[in-house]
Amino acid sequence: MPSEIFTQLVDAHYTPLFRFALSLTKSSSDAGDLTQQTFFIWAKQGHALREEGKAKSWLFTTLYREFLRGRRRAERITALEDLGPVEADPPAPEVDVVTGMDAGLVVECLQEVDATYRVPLTLFYMQDLSYKEIAEMLEVPIGTVMSRLSRGKAQLRASLARKEAGTKSKVVPFQNTTARKLS
Amino acid sequence: MNNEEAKFILQGYRPNGLDAGDATFCAAVEQSKKDPTLGEWFAQQQAFDAAISAKLAEVTPPAGLRAAILAGGKVTAASAPAHRAWWNHPVWMGLAASLAILFAAGVALWPKQASGFGDFIFADARLSATHGGHGHESSMLQAVLNDSGTHLGHKLPINFEELSGTGCRALNYRGHEIMELCFKRDGVWFHCYIARIADYPLVAMTDSPTIVDREGSSMASWKDAEHLIVVVSKSGRKSLEALL
Repeated sequence: MPSEIFTQLVDAHYTPLFRFALSLTKSSSDAGDLTQQTFFIWAKQGHALREEGKAKSWLFTTLYREFLRGRRRAERITALEDLGPVEADPPAPEVDVVTGMDAGLVVECLQEVDATYRVPLTLFYMQDLSYKEIAEMLEVPIGTVMSRLSRGKAQLRASLARKEAGTKSKVVPFQNTTARKLS
Repeated sequence: MNNEEAKFILQGYRPNGLDAGDATFCAAVEQSKKDPTLGEWFAQQQAFDAAISAKLAEVTPPAGLRAAILAGGKVTAASAPAHRAWWNHPVWMGLAASLAILFAAGVALWPKQASGFGDFIFADARLSATHGGHGHESSMLQAVLNDSGTHLGHKLPINFEELSGTGCRALNYRGHEIMELCFKRDGVWFHCYIARIADYPLVAMTDSPTIVDREGSSMASWKDAEHLIVVVSKSGRKSLEALL
């Protein structure tokens, strides 16, 4: 594979991939490793992908599968689909409150969302993939994606509300979103 | 569609507007424009989602990650086996080459050898004026052919390896030699062609002479244990029959 194409691919996708990996792993270093691993797989076999336009979906899907592969080794996956019905919308923080929050704190809240909902929710907020592409990537029906987004947003609001309440009593500056261990 | 259904669908509407053209959202978006309650909810959702997206976009990868990916990608690509299309795998290439050889051999040898052999000789005999060499009179074979008392159509005293040394014309047909001698009987020239059976295993001839007429010429052909023998006359079938 020509190095120019690989460089272009890295420049176009390594940042969103890292953000996605960060939401999955809850660790900046693990997210970096996962992002690298994804591109190395591309370097090894990704050139077989004929449609360059599908590179983005391929990269996100590969990163997610690599994450799952690594996680299966370490822990049993808990099925969260059988949980009860979605709770009524909790009171969401005002938008200007979210806007005023530190980005790292918002990412922390996102990471507190159950993994089953966090994956589609993160992809949704990154805005790179449509709900259809997310469904294809996760190999679930579109309705399941919508449902997970709904539940995930509910958990995120609750988490943000807790964080907001906590920061009112104790302010912790978050200065480096890239180096901080987030788990 | 009630408002709860519309809310469920609108959860997946990205705040950057990229889903505006998606038919799945059209009805729900239209409903949000008509229903003030739903419209307000949707506007809040979009503002909230946009704020979260903006925060997520502030997260930057660690310094050095890009360089590490590029360097590692080069190493990985260099150590990866060269990509081959499935048809370019050595096994398939070998198989294809074998089939091509078999096909070429089949095309070259089977029907064309059988029919082409006669065609070749007819064509050469037509150019008899340019032949030139008629063999040495001292050659035993030449003497037999010239002897008006000898009936052809049987085994002849042929030493194929020595024929070229006796002044016969050597022709090359499909990679093998065919020797040609001209002889004269009763004022008529004939052309005798001799080839080895081993060189043309697919050419079918019988032990006794078979005469074929074609374009004003006649050809008598037969074989002995080792050779294919063809005699061509441009003076008609009867002149050939007189030799046999």
